[in-house]
Amino acid sequence: MKCKTSKEIGGMGHSMKRKEDARFIQGKGNYVDDVKLPGMLYMDIVRSPYAYAKIKNIDATKALEIPGVIAVVTGKDLEKYNLHWMPTLMSDTQMVLPTDTVMYQSQEVAAVIATDRYIARDGKEAVMVDYEPMDPLMDPFKALDEDAPVLRADQEGKTDNHIWHWEVGDKEKTADIFNNADITVKQQMHIPRIHVASIETCGCVASYNKVENHLTMYMTTQAPHAIRTVIALVAGHVGLTEERIRVISPDIGGGFGGKVPVYPGYVIAIAVSFLTGAPIKWIEDRSENLQADSFARDYHITAEMAGTKDGKILATRFKVLADHGYTDASANPSKFPTGLFSIGTGSYDYGAAYMEADAVYTNKPPGGVAYRCSFRVTEAVHAIERMTDVFAKKVGKDPAQLRMENFIKKDQFPWASPTGWSYDSGDYHAGLQKAMDAVGYDELRKEQIELRKEGKLMGIGISTFTEVVGAGPSKDFDILGIKMFDSAEIRVHPTGKAIARFGTKSQGQGHETTYAQIVAEELGIPMENIQIEEGDTDTAPYGLGTYASRSTPTAGAAAAMAARKLRDKAKKIAAYLLEVSEEDLEWEPGKFYVKGAPEKMKTIQEIVFASYTNHPEGMEAGFEATHYYDPPNLTFPSGAYICIVDIDPETCDIKVRRFVAIDDCGNIINPMIVQGQVHGGLTQGIAPAMYEELIYDDAGNILNGTFMDYLVPTAVESPSWETGHTITPAPHHPIGAKGVGESPTVGAPPAIVNAIVDAVHHLGIEHLEIPVTPFKLFKELKNVGYFDK
Amino acid sequence: MNTKIVKEFEIEQPLEKVWAAIANPEEVVTCVPGAAITEKTDEIHYKGEVVTKFGPIKAKYAGDIEILEMDNENHKMVLKGRGLDSKGKGSADMIMHGDAEEVDGKTKVTFSMDITIVGMLAQFGSRLINDVSDQLINQFVDNFKAKLAGEEVDNTMTGGSMLGTVAKSIFGRKKD
Repeated sequence: MKCKTSKEIGGMGHSMKRKEDARFIQGKGNYVDDVKLPGMLYMDIVRSPYAYAKIKNIDATKALEIPGVIAVVTGKDLEKYNLHWMPTLMSDTQMVLPTDTVMYQSQEVAAVIATDRYIARDGKEAVMVDYEPMDPLMDPFKALDEDAPVLRADQEGKTDNHIWHWEVGDKEKTADIFNNADITVKQQMHIPRIHVASIETCGCVASYNKVENHLTMYMTTQAPHAIRTVIALVAGHVGLTEERIRVISPDIGGGFGGKVPVYPGYVIAIAVSFLTGAPIKWIEDRSENLQADSFARDYHITAEMAGTKDGKILATRFKVLADHGYTDASANPSKFPTGLFSIGTGSYDYGAAYMEADAVYTNKPPGGVAYRCSFRVTEAVHAIERMTDVFAKKVGKDPAQLRMENFIKKDQFPWASPTGWSYDSGDYHAGLQKAMDAVGYDELRKEQIELRKEGKLMGIGISTFTEVVGAGPSKDFDILGIKMFDSAEIRVHPTGKAIARFGTKSQGQGHETTYAQIVAEELGIPMENIQIEEGDTDTAPYGLGTYASRSTPTAGAAAAMAARKLRDKAKKIAAYLLEVSEEDLEWEPGKFYVKGAPEKMKTIQEIVFASYTNHPEGMEAGFEATHYYDPPNLTFPSGAYICIVDIDPETCDIKVRRFVAIDDCGNIINPMIVQGQVHGGLTQGIAPAMYEELIYDDAGNILNGTFMDYLVPTAVESPSWETGHTITPAPHHPIGAKGVGESPTVGAPPAIVNAIVDAVHHLGIEHLEIPVTPFKLFKELKNVGYFDK
Repeated sequence: MNTKIVKEFEIEQPLEKVWAAIANPEEVVTCVPGAAITEKTDEIHYKGEVVTKFGPIKAKYAGDIEILEMDNENHKMVLKGRGLDSKGKGSADMIMHGDAEEVDGKTKVTFSMDITIVGMLAQFGSRLINDVSDQLINQFVDNFKAKLAGEEVDNTMTGGSMLGTVAKSIFGRKKD
């Protein structure tokens, strides 16, 4: 990619080293657990061993006898202040602490406050809770049975476990095509419940100052401003109004959507700090994080595709059952109960689709969050990419060829999808061709034929996905009414160095580097002289935070727009200093010069200095600008991924031989960071495809609630990723960028599963549910008689 | 989590003597590792407790035992047990079918237990629960045989040794 700026300026396209890494690699990051305040108390949480039970009694006597245990807080205590329930982002309600019933295993039951963390844990062990267990409802399909117990009896008039119904597309037109199509294929699939499993668990230090009536909340949140507003809405009635709340989100060790929701622990800590006046620290342990925090996915999908016998896709139909646990605590834009699932028509040119979804309550933890995913896009992409392969097998066409024949063409953009999206740009043919060339597709197909003759199992899987990110345009996108714009504020100091603040919050994305590069690109100030700050609601402009690959599409755009306001001002000052008219000036990164006389010029540093020392009469002094960017459209990154697997015919061990990922995220700010994002994202893509799933038994126990049993892939499981890109700029975005953080997590699972199915399809296996473990594959192969020979 | 345990063993004692011991909960419980009867409520209801220690997890279950069926003629019985962890950390439910019959002058005892465990033990011990149960049952059988042979029985269960025995049985297991 060609760079407009020099390496010294370090604008877009330069692989600048990450500014934040200087502190991270030296162990000098500042995370919530590093916050230590005078007089701070520690909180630990008693959790339910039952998935569904009445609480008959909570006896804290023995806990309170332990020296150092200050208090034990129960739902009854919070009830006095009407803080025992809280709203979820989806306008459902969630218990902070229960007053009478627990709804899932590991739910918060009581909080122990003590003078240190270990005493708090001892206190937790000493709290005696008398439960009356009830039979839990674990199966989402059974949740809709007429005789199923009504779990949310707290909701007035509730007579079933159904939460909501959603649909999009043209039902009749789609049905008509299905009724008349040469070929229809149908597949049931489950996108299992998984967990973001970030390295840092969730936690906070709530510090309420009684004298000032002011709360400072240090917490692991991806959306500090939204949290401040939510706290004010929940606690306004006790006097905590929004100007008296400061939320600080320090360094975050991975968010992936799991740090968007408000968990009960945060609220309890605030309540206790409010009542005691002492700072309260709460840090989850690993198992609590895995067992109780919001899950991701858990969609049961019936997917159908209709087409012609020569392989033209005509229509798709998806029906979803969404298991939300005991409350809908999804982190979606408010008008989108299924998030952006309707992107599931994919990268293909056809005119009819119908999708519907129903959500139900069960006795599982609430959720679900958008795990490195623009709200349910992962589920949608899995469905469409699996179905494309199922369809290709049915018509007997090579899956690459079938995709090439069905892709939306480059000149068809902007493309109106059958579910209402306007895809901004793309070049799907170029992406897939590049991936096929990189992997040597035709040779691999020949090799596969030879290997099959020798009885060896090798498969080639493709995923050519379209993502939808950057939520979002204010006409459709809001969270609890707040529009999903985002913001940037740039202040350039007299000596030409700058600080820029944002409404987003990095959790490892590298904002301190990429945002600085955007500002450097626009103003020509070296990126190393641009300090980036996020996460403090007292200093940063309001924004809705970082998730769903929205930072570059929204706040990144805001940075460019704010910088352009400053460049306009710089031009006026330069004209004044050079005594020419503005029209006579030409910009090149870092300076304005007079057309035809390049030696007559003013650097950006000279111009900024003048804005403080010698600004033109009538002009406002200083060099600052703020921009709130409301995107006109979402951005539509895409990718073409090809995965090669070899399967051991005896142990069924699945080895990813190669994985080629060609991403198109539009213009690239920092190629090295993009590559890093892709590597991490692909690893989190192989996770649900082959390893991760939260497993519950009928009694409501989580059977893999620790990292002993919940398999997070490590470097050992990760193949050597081969990455590359095509560039189709977003036409409506100021810098043409689209966002890349989650593309690999979204696009990788179907490529892997398609490869595994491709390796065994000739033996009679047409589909495999994720995660495809060796044991699952063994059972399927046994079913088709593979081992009988 | 649910687990089913089926065990069969032979004992060189006459059927009626064996059955008399089995059919009396107060008698048989002295052979169950870690268990004790604390109260006989009536002819078919008992209260008892079981203390288990498995590695870091110590659980004390206080529970009720109910004799659902006692057929002394055909030597068959059905017991229901429900135990709640005394600290509110979970529960265990059990239905046990037991029967005894005479085979070549010896007595063959067969019992099967359907156990449902909820809570921390299920979460952390699920991978090893069958192996632990196996060890406990072997210990019970040894105790029971010793008791009928008139020997002293010590039914305390020690967690450390239990964990060690299980580990040995797992890691020392021959490939099958």
